[in-house]
Amino acid sequence: MTAISEFADPTSTPPATASAAPPRIELRNASRWYGNVVAVNDVSCALSAGITGVLGPNGAGKSTVLNMIAGLLAPSAGHVLIDGLPATGRPDVYRTLALVPEREAVHAFLTGYEFVRMSARLQQLDDVDGAAARAIALVELESAQHRRVGTYSKGMRQRIKIAGALVHDPQILLLDEPFNGMDPRQRLQMMDVLRRLADDGRVVVISSHILEELNDLATNVLVMVSGRLAASGHFREIRQLMTDRPHTFTIRSSDDRALARALLADRSVFSVELTSDGIVLRTADRGALTRQLPRTAKAGGIRLLEIRPTDESLESVFSYLVGR
Amino acid sequence: MTGPIEPTVVWLTWRQLFARRRLLLAAAFSLAPLLIAIVFRVTAADVDASSGAFLLTLLREVVIGTELPIAAVVFGTTAFGGEIDDGTLVYLLVKPIARWRVVVSKYLVAVACTFAVMIPAVVLPWLLVRNAELPAAVPLAFGAGALGGALIYCALFVMLGLTIRRALVVGLMYVIGVEIVLAREVAGIRSLSIRELALSITSWIGGPSVPFSGSVVTLATVWVMGTLILLGSVAYSMRRLTRYEVAERL
Repeated sequence: MTAISEFADPTSTPPATASAAPPRIELRNASRWYGNVVAVNDVSCALSAGITGVLGPNGAGKSTVLNMIAGLLAPSAGHVLIDGLPATGRPDVYRTLALVPEREAVHAFLTGYEFVRMSARLQQLDDVDGAAARAIALVELESAQHRRVGTYSKGMRQRIKIAGALVHDPQILLLDEPFNGMDPRQRLQMMDVLRRLADDGRVVVISSHILEELNDLATNVLVMVSGRLAASGHFREIRQLMTDRPHTFTIRSSDDRALARALLADRSVFSVELTSDGIVLRTADRGALTRQLPRTAKAGGIRLLEIRPTDESLESVFSYLVGR
Repeated sequence: MTGPIEPTVVWLTWRQLFARRRLLLAAAFSLAPLLIAIVFRVTAADVDASSGAFLLTLLREVVIGTELPIAAVVFGTTAFGGEIDDGTLVYLLVKPIARWRVVVSKYLVAVACTFAVMIPAVVLPWLLVRNAELPAAVPLAFGAGALGGALIYCALFVMLGLTIRRALVVGLMYVIGVEIVLAREVAGIRSLSIRELALSITSWIGGPSVPFSGSVVTLATVWVMGTLILLGSVAYSMRRLTRYEVAERL
C-alpha cells in the first residue's frame, strides 16, 4: 500500500487541509466480508472537515466503505466510528449524517417536493416547508419540484436525492457516485455546492470510479483496489503519482526494427520489445514520448501506422498503485 | 414524546400501497361481493327466503375465505417488499427514527388498507339483501372477523416481505394452497388456518345473528394462536429490520 501522507493513519496528525479538531469519521482496521468474499479488507483512515474522494474501480469496495460509515453495514472486523462512537445501531447519528446512495431509485410516485419534504419531516425539523424549499433551490430543481420523480431524468433524480440528504443541513455528507447521469453544467453547479459545504467545516465524502470527477474538488483521496486501501493522501500527490507511472504503448510502423533501435536512444524510454503486433514500448514520461516519437520516426524516414496505449484502464492504474 | 407510530412512514406507506394498480385491485375487491349480490337479487326466485343463506355464504366463503387473505398478502408483503427490491428502503433507514417504529407503522398501514377494502365488501351486499333475518349484527360480526383476520394475516405477510424475495408469490401460494383449498378440505389444517380464526371471531361477535355452524376452532384457540402469530411475527419483523443491512451487489 502506498501511504502518500499520514492521512491514512488515524493515530497520526491529519493533513494541513483538515481541521485541528478530532476526526469526525474513523475506520480502524475495518473489514467487511460476505461469506467467502472480502469486500473491504483492513482499512484504516480518519476523515475531518473538507472533501475526501474515495476512488477506485467498480467492485473495489467504495460503496461498502460508505455504507459502513453510514451505519448501514456493520464491519465484520475492526471499528467504524462517527464522532468516536460506533456508526451502527444509532438512529440519532442521522441528525448529523446524510447519505446519497448509489442506486438511483427514489419513490417514483412522489413529487420531488414531497420526497424532500418527507426527508425533512423524518428529520423532525421545525420548518419543514422552508427546509424543503431551501434544499430544492440548492440543487436548482424548483421548476420540476412538483413533477413526479418517476418522470425525472437520471441527473434530476441524483439532484433530488442530494436535496433530500441536505434538507437537515448535515455535518457529515456521504455521496456514492453522485455525479452519475448529471450533465457537465449540473456537475459544475453541484461541485460548487459541495465546495461551499466543505468550506463551512462539513465532512464531505464522495466515491467515484472516475479520477477526473474528483479533480479540483477533493482535497484528499483514498484509493481503493480489491477492498484494500491502495493509497491515500492529498489529491495532487496521488494524481502526480498516477501521471508519472510507466505507460505502455503498442506502436506499428513501416519499419518496426529501425524505429525500435532509434527509440532506445531516447532517455524517456524504459524498454522496447519487438513483437508480431509491432513495438511494445514502456516510458516514464508520456509527454516527452509523444513529442519525440514523430521526430524520431521522421528522422529515420519511418512512417507511423498506429500508436495505441495498452494500459489506460483504471484497473491498470490502480494495480500500479497497489504494486508500489 | 414519540409513540410507536411514525406519521410520515404511515403517510409514505399509504401512498405506496394505494398506488395505481393496487387501487384498482382494492376497488375490485371492495365491489365484487356487491356485484354478486346484484346478480342474486336479479336472478333469485324467492329473494326474501334465501337472502340469509346467500349472504352468510357470500361473506364467509368469498369475503373472509378468499378476499381477506388475498388483500392481506398483497398489502402485507408490499409494505416492505417493494422498497427492499428497489432500494428505496435506505431513505427510511438513514433517518433518526428507531427501526421498530418503521415496522409498527408499516404493519398498521397494511392492516388498515386490508380492512378498508373489507368494509365495503361486507357492508354493501348486506345493504342490498338485508331483511329482518339479517340485522346490523351480521356485517358487524363479519367486520370484526375481517379486522381480526387482517391483524393476523398482515403480521405474517409483513414478516414474509421482510424475510424473503418474491414474498408476494410465496404468500399467494400459501393463501391459495393452504387457506383457500386445504383449509376447506382437511380438518387438521382447517383448525390451524387463519381463515378459521377470523370466522371464529365472527361467530363469537355475531352470536345467534350469524347462524352458521361456526368454526372448528374454539375461542380459546383463537386467542392463543392469534396472539402467538401476531406478536411473534411483528417481533420477528422488528428484529429483522433492526439487523437489516444494505445488500451489496458483489
